[in-house]
Amino acid sequence: MQFQPMYEGGELFLPEIEFNMTPGQPVGIITDLKRKQLVMNQLAEHAGFYLFRVQQGEYMRLTVEELITFLIHVSERKEHAASLMEYFALKEERKVKIKDLSPSKRVYVTLLRVFFAYQPALVLEEPYFYLEEQDRRQFKRILDDLSREKQLLILTSNLEDALISCDVIYRLNGSGFHPLDIRDSEEDKQDVHKQDEPNITLQKISTKRNDKVILFNPPEIDFIESVEGSILVHVGGENYDCALTLTELEQRLLNFGFFRCHRSYIVNLQKVREIITWTKNSYSLRLNTSQDAVVPLSRSKLQELKTLLNI
Amino acid sequence: MSISLKRARAIFVKDYKEFSRNYAISIILVFPILFAFLFRSAGSALPGAIGFLLNTSLVILTSLAQACLIAEEKERNTLRSLMLTPATTLDVLIGKSSLVFVMSAVVLAISTYILGYEPANIGTFTAAIILSIILYTAAGTICGLFSKTVLEASLSILPVAFIFTGAPWGAVLAKDYPVFKVLDFMPSSQLVHLLGLGDTGYTTGDVLKPLLIILAWTVVLTVVSVVLYVRRLKDE
Repeated sequence: MQFQPMYEGGELFLPEIEFNMTPGQPVGIITDLKRKQLVMNQLAEHAGFYLFRVQQGEYMRLTVEELITFLIHVSERKEHAASLMEYFALKEERKVKIKDLSPSKRVYVTLLRVFFAYQPALVLEEPYFYLEEQDRRQFKRILDDLSREKQLLILTSNLEDALISCDVIYRLNGSGFHPLDIRDSEEDKQDVHKQDEPNITLQKISTKRNDKVILFNPPEIDFIESVEGSILVHVGGENYDCALTLTELEQRLLNFGFFRCHRSYIVNLQKVREIITWTKNSYSLRLNTSQDAVVPLSRSKLQELKTLLNI
Repeated sequence: MSISLKRARAIFVKDYKEFSRNYAISIILVFPILFAFLFRSAGSALPGAIGFLLNTSLVILTSLAQACLIAEEKERNTLRSLMLTPATTLDVLIGKSSLVFVMSAVVLAISTYILGYEPANIGTFTAAIILSIILYTAAGTICGLFSKTVLEASLSILPVAFIFTGAPWGAVLAKDYPVFKVLDFMPSSQLVHLLGLGDTGYTTGDVLKPLLIILAWTVVLTVVSVVLYVRRLKDE
């Protein structure tokens, strides 16, 4: 998949993007509203992509069953409406008109249009944003089934939403197009070197931003991530570069209640509010900060975390 | 471009259900019948009643219904989604138009019956009405394509109503201003000519000329509406 670069006001707004899409490996791109539109518009020019935009409406006066029947007929599928209704877990809403559904259910029903797409690649804009927990789970299940045969691309502005069903996630913003390291890797347990004792007395973490050196007290820090080799310290929704490696930081911050929850993340356990379970094998930590931040949690680290927290 | 009856029928059924439950719009089905009752009570005092009735009904029923059906889909972005399904442009247009056609034919037949009009030649009358319905459906499609919401669609019908239903009267002005002779070639004027033919004393030419003019209008507007449909949807 390739995108043309786009300029706005003489500045590079959308860099030249290239990535691979294969069935069974959903791709997520975290980006802002405007870049989302630009990406969608470029995709619309190719045949073979089914675009689901956030503005997609629905035939409000049909009942759910009539809508599914219509979609089956118009897309020439062989399935029966009754069995599909069961698959979609919509049996109870069978006779309800779309306009009488709850907002979350209405979006869920509208999203089902992607199920009927014949195109080999599906592109969804913010699929999970308007869904409640229950509908999210249902739709994730349907997307998982779909992604076995189809290429899937999810455009969202929310890391949490991308984490739900994407295996590969990129971040697209003013600084370019970069992959996020969210893979689970058990084999990557690095040997922990015993550091010198005096380090514990050093309390400040020094970071750099716009050529200024900024020092943080460890409790201020929300989490630390490693993006393409550089270390970003997140404090109150902002991020700052740090010259230390994650392993060094882990050593220093161990006594301040920090935890290496993932190969590329260290999280301040004081700020963890929730452990989110997506599937049996994928977890995230939601932080209790001003901005809704979510940090991935490796499966291998879950046990360690549980003993640490005495759960 | 292939046409699949199955897909067109699915669209027909879907639109029928949507339309019949949208009372704000489906109420227009009643108007021609109400008009027919009104004119019937006026009796023979109104010789041009049938022409007026049919021409108005064709605009407020046929064109308006079609324009609203298309505009509503555009408003909710479902038309774009339909284009991503195997349904072709013709499937969508045929599905929608056939619903409007059936509704118009039934309502017009009922109101003609109520008014008590007896055509000189039932064959020509039917042919003219069928062609006119197709013609006004195409006009409605064009209006729907140029409007983004249902509200806009119902307003965009006004020029059509003005030009088409007004044409037979405009032709009266032709005596003073020869420019208005053009209006005589409007399909609505021709329909009035056809309806005005008596039981006896008309030649084949009298029948054929209006029919051919209406046919020409039908072909042109249908082609224009299909081309516009394809082009407008690509632009969005």
